[in-house]
Amino acid sequence: MIRLSQIAAIAGFALALGAADAQVLTEKNISMQMAMTAFQGAVAECKKSGSNDITVAIVDRAGQVALLARANNASPHNLELARRKAYTARTFRQATSTWMERTALDAVDDKGKAIDLNGQRYLENTIAEKGGMPIIWHGDAIGGVGVTGSKGGGEADEACAKAGVAAIANQLL
Amino acid sequence: MFRMSHILTAAAASVVLLSAAPQAFAQGPSLTAAQAMAAARAVQAYAKKEGSDPSTVVLDRDGNIVLQLKGNNSAPHNLGLAQRKAFTANKFKMKSIEWRDATKPGTPQASERETPNAIPLGGGVPIMVGNEVIGAVGVSGTKGGQEGDTAGAQAGADAAAAAVQRLQARN
Repeated sequence: MIRLSQIAAIAGFALALGAADAQVLTEKNISMQMAMTAFQGAVAECKKSGSNDITVAIVDRAGQVALLARANNASPHNLELARRKAYTARTFRQATSTWMERTALDAVDDKGKAIDLNGQRYLENTIAEKGGMPIIWHGDAIGGVGVTGSKGGGEADEACAKAGVAAIANQLL
Repeated sequence: MFRMSHILTAAAASVVLLSAAPQAFAQGPSLTAAQAMAAARAVQAYAKKEGSDPSTVVLDRDGNIVLQLKGNNSAPHNLGLAQRKAFTANKFKMKSIEWRDATKPGTPQASERETPNAIPLGGGVPIMVGNEVIGAVGVSGTKGGQEGDTAGAQAGADAAAAAVQRLQARN
């Protein structure tokens, strides 16, 4: 009898919570192995264009660092810059070059109306620079790649970050 | 007798002092946890209608966090952004989208944007009772961008204000 009433109490509690809403939240995230593969992809691409010494940051779904690799001759700011590029791409689910355009003071939408997203640049950990790409799994951003220090500047940084994401593309299907 | 007269003198003196400069407490309604929950539920109801998954922060009169609710699949910046929007609405006593427009670069108020923790983005709404700000709701991550976030936060602020007013009417 005691046991039965206990079960009834638990059932009642579950009912109160709303059975349909109370489910375990499952999240996809990048693994350490994926981060390393993406890193190698970025490095290989940058080598092709003559940049043998780049700084790379890879962040996970939560925006936390999964991998940091500092170039031999990196400037003191490079590591943090790469991390912020990766974070910005992850949290806004877009290339940092796109985010730069969308958050510019004079940015407008398709109809020419001001979009006023400049305030996003006030957020901590973001950076309005090219070289960050999101890692997207079925429309869900699960990480980001940030590259800095390549010889071709922001454009080349972005190409290397793109190659990093491409290196794990077969796992994002 | 001695003691009694002492007390009487002290009482008389304090009455004189108080009446010379009558001072009231600075007081006004703030927000309880239950009222913050009412705000969050209203935001959730707004989000459910459109099928979005926003993050919500509710602040009290003094800007303390009473409630923080992370959206299930929110981006890393959403919760912190919701807090800054609520903070902006609370401190400047207006919707953060109005503050954004009032502080545009090039305007005399532009330097207000340097206020730590404030953010010129829509989605923060003050909780008003009469002309008083008693708290604020910040929302980030609805479908409608800054306008949508503002509408969601407004639903939350209205619900909290209504809960406070119900209590005031009862007392």
